[in-house]
Amino acid sequence: MSEPCKMKVEICLGTTCYVLGSFRLSALEEQLPPELADRVEVAGAACLGLCKDRNYGKAPFVRINGNRVVDNATIEKVLDALKEELEKCNE
Amino acid sequence: MDMPNDVFVEMECFQLCHDGENVCGDDFLFERIENENRHLAVLSDGLGSGIKANLLACMTTTMALEFVRSNMDVLLSAEIIMDTLPVCEVRKISYATFSIFDLQIGGKSRIIEMDNPPFIHLRNGKDLKVSRQSMVSERWPDRRVNLAEIYAISGDRLIAFSDGVTQAGLGQAPNKFGWRREGALEFIQRKVEEEPEISARDLSQAVVMEARRHNKNCACIDDISCMVIYLRRPRRLRLLTGPPFRADSDAAYADLVRNFDGKVILSGGTTANIVSRELGRKIDMDMKLVMKAGSLPPPARMEGVDLVTEGILTLTEVAQRLEADPPLTTPVPLAAQEMISLFRASDEIEFVVGTKVNEAHQDPSLPVDLEIRRNIVRRLKTVLENKYRKRVLLRFF
Repeated sequence: MSEPCKMKVEICLGTTCYVLGSFRLSALEEQLPPELADRVEVAGAACLGLCKDRNYGKAPFVRINGNRVVDNATIEKVLDALKEELEKCNE
Repeated sequence: MDMPNDVFVEMECFQLCHDGENVCGDDFLFERIENENRHLAVLSDGLGSGIKANLLACMTTTMALEFVRSNMDVLLSAEIIMDTLPVCEVRKISYATFSIFDLQIGGKSRIIEMDNPPFIHLRNGKDLKVSRQSMVSERWPDRRVNLAEIYAISGDRLIAFSDGVTQAGLGQAPNKFGWRREGALEFIQRKVEEEPEISARDLSQAVVMEARRHNKNCACIDDISCMVIYLRRPRRLRLLTGPPFRADSDAAYADLVRNFDGKVILSGGTTANIVSRELGRKIDMDMKLVMKAGSLPPPARMEGVDLVTEGILTLTEVAQRLEADPPLTTPVPLAAQEMISLFRASDEIEFVVGTKVNEAHQDPSLPVDLEIRRNIVRRLKTVLENKYRKRVLLRFF
């Protein structure tokens, strides 16, 4: 059996993301369903620099595994994205 | 650019009011005249307590500061002060005491005293003997003005207090005659021996609290003030905020962290990222702190840096807190609290301001107005200089 998938979630705590509510996402860790709980590491990040770039949509931003960006992030949106990533990984 | 002068003069005064009064009957004023390398400090004890005493003391400090600044004759200054003060209805005298310090760094300093306990000139733990020239005004024969001339050097402390300190515990064993100057001096010497670099702020507070402890039930039966002037090597702090205008300045900008002899704050996510990348040092941010951090993003850590915070919101919060008088009673967010403590524990603060503007901050749909970095830093400079007597430097990058 291969290594279980591990995922890293970075919540942007830069100014723009913070004023648009990224601090509420800190509850993400407690709301992880059992299938994700052991696989996801949640961390805060100093400004990810995404708000300056119009290509990424609207703050607050969350970044998964260093490449996937969730914009306008809510806990639900991040959880959906994490489930998708998990499926991809299990394929 | 190195900061000028290797001596910083920390001037602080701690006070407690007479029980039941809202204002202190002792007053103090400080002034730093940067281009003359001169520092002025005045402490006055007004007759009685409460508003009347406060008024007498404030009038005295205000006049005394003005006179000493303009190098007016000592006796004439004292006469004008005594002529001007209103006469107390009860005691039929006009009365306030004063101690005036006119410090010239690297030169001769003058101390003018009238009826306050004689000041202490502490050097290497010893109370230096000070020779005083005594003067009496013809019009006020029962008042004596003393003038002392000293050379103060780095490491010296000059300490003055109101009689609330020397008379603490008066009439009770073991201090039937109060704590007296000797008692206070012994306490100060012990304190300085234990903690040789104790700040003026901490020492003045310690003296006043110890004086109160000598009073029955720790009561304040008089206004109690202690002023400490401490000449020392400046404690330096450098704060970097904002990305440099030109991206090719990033390396030089980050070098300001590596090569600094003092404390360092990084205020701003992009700022921290630039320094992290250029110096190869990780930013540690504890997500668990978010909920405990109050209304600001939590502080983070980086090797060789004393504090990493978010930028605009934190600086704005800190400026508001420092300016507020009376102090705000809402809980202080963690990052702001840590930044304020670092500011207060420093003598010289240098702000290095990256001038690149983050356009996302100017988006009108944001729920709060974000000020331009330069403006907040200027606000901080003003309040730190005027209210907290810090030496502040500003550099744009």
